[in-house]
Amino acid sequence: MSESRRRIATLARHEYRAATRNRVLIVLVGIVVTVTAVSVYIASVSYRSQLADYQAYLAAAQANGVDRIAPSPLAPLSLLRGAFEYLEIIGAVIAITLGYLTVSRERANRTLPLIRSRPVTSGELATGSVLGALGIIATLVAITAGVGVVCVGLIGNTWINAGQALQLLLAYVSAIVYMGAFYCLGAIATAKSRVAANGLMIALGIWLIVVLVLPQIGDTMDADNQIPGGLFKALGLGHDGEVSILTHFTTYERIRTWTEEASLAKHFERFSFAMADVKERYRPFGLPWLLGQTRNDIGWMIAYSTALFAGLRCTFRTQPTIPRGGTP
Amino acid sequence: MIATIARQQVLMLRRQGTFVAMLATLLVMTALAGVLGWSSHHTIVRAYDEAVKLLASTGKPAPPNPFTLKPTLSLLSNMVVYIPLIGALLALIVGHLGIVDDEAGGVGRLIFTRQVSRTGYVLGKIASAGAVLFVVLTASLAVSAISLVAVNHAIAFAEVGRLVMFYSLSWLYLMVFAVIGMATVLITRRRSIALLSALGAWLVITLAIPQFTSGLRPTQSLNPITDPVSTSQTFFRVTASARPYSIVEQYKQASGRILDTTTPEPVWQTIQRVLPIAGLLLILVLVTARLVQRHDFSRSSTHE
Repeated sequence: MSESRRRIATLARHEYRAATRNRVLIVLVGIVVTVTAVSVYIASVSYRSQLADYQAYLAAAQANGVDRIAPSPLAPLSLLRGAFEYLEIIGAVIAITLGYLTVSRERANRTLPLIRSRPVTSGELATGSVLGALGIIATLVAITAGVGVVCVGLIGNTWINAGQALQLLLAYVSAIVYMGAFYCLGAIATAKSRVAANGLMIALGIWLIVVLVLPQIGDTMDADNQIPGGLFKALGLGHDGEVSILTHFTTYERIRTWTEEASLAKHFERFSFAMADVKERYRPFGLPWLLGQTRNDIGWMIAYSTALFAGLRCTFRTQPTIPRGGTP
Repeated sequence: MIATIARQQVLMLRRQGTFVAMLATLLVMTALAGVLGWSSHHTIVRAYDEAVKLLASTGKPAPPNPFTLKPTLSLLSNMVVYIPLIGALLALIVGHLGIVDDEAGGVGRLIFTRQVSRTGYVLGKIASAGAVLFVVLTASLAVSAISLVAVNHAIAFAEVGRLVMFYSLSWLYLMVFAVIGMATVLITRRRSIALLSALGAWLVITLAIPQFTSGLRPTQSLNPITDPVSTSQTFFRVTASARPYSIVEQYKQASGRILDTTTPEPVWQTIQRVLPIAGLLLILVLVTARLVQRHDFSRSSTHE
């Protein structure tokens, strides 16, 4: 292992160990795991009764010698929808908190100037911190994934197969990338603020816009979402009628799409929902087709993460190498 | 003494720019809700016109006018989402800053060398948060009224009354979070831990509890129009007993009733929805007053 890699690995281990010692972080992780388990439990109980109905239909059809049996409309991975939504919202807050703690901890202990006084480049510091944080995030994601899959198996009576496991793996990798981007945001905002708590507030303000406001605007502007039960249904129109009417809403739909495109959270949501079969229109298709359909979302997630990682490197490069007086 | 402390705190929030930032955020939020309401209005009009043409071309009768399904004040339905989410976060920050700055700046140590009672001190701080929230919500009410006039070309006296009641309820709801912001500073040693603890409380109240009691997923909590969730499972039969204490759900349902955007219910039932919010606020005020009595203001506090 080269000297540079060894330094990065040391910094990553330090980041991982320091984060696991923080009680507030542990409590936030506890909250996300608990709510994930509850959301999957609720969905699985409902799924189990639907599965029993389908199996009863299947047995009756086979007993009567029916040749054409309708395939199961059920998608076990979709039971993890709530789990992905919690990673989208609370996971992003946890990642920002991690980023904030990375900087504020070193500042409060006055160890950041010390680290920078050693032969460690800003790139190595940023890479080591990000890798350590990704280790923590991967642990969190693995716990929620494990809880989710076991709930689906034990309560929903369906264990996922290898193909579904691969889709789920990709969805959880995207969750790690998504949370990694918010980690970088938290660290950048904190490092750029003289008072670390103000940096945390700025990062949370950005989180508010990206995760809560922009996707909410996009959803609210959905033409069909204007009245309870759906506008087109209220107008007595089927799918063809809806498509026909929406051709008159090109500009409106474009604005709505742009609003949603601006949100990293929406890209993560679209990709993870496609991988987890949440949307019915994706269910009949295989992984290559799904990846092709979501290539835009994959591209945006990579672009946002890369830009924020580059921003973190630049920010660490400009951090003072000698301690400043007064409160950090 | 309470009034002096409250005035000083409001002045501090004004000088720090927090007051202006909060006012601007809430006004932008209200204006955004108005724009979205206006957009929704036009979308329905256009979709209805196109549907009439489409159905006429196939020889079918015109559909019922969907506006009969859309109450006048539903224009502001996004406010019922923004206030519990964004407004509550802002209120947390107002409450947090009220106490934390005194700790960090050493004012906490100095002030109790004067003849100031701790109860008076905390009541002054709570009164300042109440005053700030009152001003920003009043401005928000004005923007809402303007939005309604701009879209509907008129506003009835009864609708103004409903708006006043809605914003009064919102004030009560936000005060809960302002006091949580204060209490978390008093029970933690570090500024950042206090802020994160308050944020944890916000996540639990706003997103986690509705999932437990009503099966509402986080994204459903963000949308003003949601499809009903089946809560016939045994799990909900157990947790439904806690639903009256889920203040975010009670706030949303009471707001929907006040704005006349949800199914009608007797007035006493709406009042019953408000009581848990008022009760929680009272409990939090008492707890915070108790915490202040026991808090060691002589302890050196750091910014982190």
